[in-house]
Amino acid sequence: MTKGDKCLIISIIIISLFSLWYVKKEATNYDEKYILIQVDGKDYKKITFGPEVIGKKIPIKTELGYNLIEIGDGKVRVIEADCPDQLDVKQGYIESPGEVIVCLPNKLVIEIKGKTKDEDIDYISH
Amino acid sequence: MEKLKRMIFLSLLVSLGLALSIIESFMPVPFIAPGAKLGLSNMVILVTLVVFGFKEALIVGILKSLLFTLVTGSVSSLFYSLTGTVFSSIAMFIVYLYFSKFFSLIGVSIFGAVAHNTAQVLVASLIMNNFKIFSYLPILLLISLFTGYFTGLASIFISKNLKKNFQPRCEINKI
Repeated sequence: MTKGDKCLIISIIIISLFSLWYVKKEATNYDEKYILIQVDGKDYKKITFGPEVIGKKIPIKTELGYNLIEIGDGKVRVIEADCPDQLDVKQGYIESPGEVIVCLPNKLVIEIKGKTKDEDIDYISH
Repeated sequence: MEKLKRMIFLSLLVSLGLALSIIESFMPVPFIAPGAKLGLSNMVILVTLVVFGFKEALIVGILKSLLFTLVTGSVSSLFYSLTGTVFSSIAMFIVYLYFSKFFSLIGVSIFGAVAHNTAQVLVASLIMNNFKIFSYLPILLLISLFTGYFTGLASIFISKNLKKNFQPRCEINKI
């Protein structure tokens, strides 16, 4: 263990703590949040949180695989998956904007997105 | 004779790395973050790099990744493990060759672990087309500090003993 090692360890701790704090700060800047489900890079479904969707289970069945997600009060988790490692099931609930559940074998990304409240509608076109 | 000995030893190292990866995949991950691994096979690559050289380390790493894919049967993980291995070997080689004045093998190992994680997150974000996955990198980096420290510590002891048996012929050790 040389002096350089110690400097390296300390600088990596500082960098990662700082970026963790930055991610957290970016994530808590929102008032309204929704779930965005992407399969293979394309949007699959968008779900806004609300009392009517609590406890709802949504199956995601594509040619890449099968996942079953459950929506709670402002949080979401995967409860069933046909991927071999089941990492997405083990991850449990995610709740704040910016958090993601990724299922690599099924190319599934479940992301919580947020909107700031003061973001007014620019224009509506029909 | 020396060449044969080296070849046999390299294949032993490959099978050692393979066995370590398999044992590691059976182990439940003691951390909160999913996807984090102990990186035991990184130890084998680091030892190969120190005792034999860069080319041999790359060969051992790539062979280990290919064989591990054959064992587990998940082809999608091949890209992640291959890029991770190649990137971490290159990072460890550069650090070991040019900066071994400042860093011991622990530092080299930490650099390798950091490069491994960054490469895997990069590949994941390219495949998923979603760069939000990078928000996961700081947690992985923090964990890789600990795993890198201990694999580096173990590599110091292993390579100290191995260097007695093998006359290092590679260009690194002369510098």
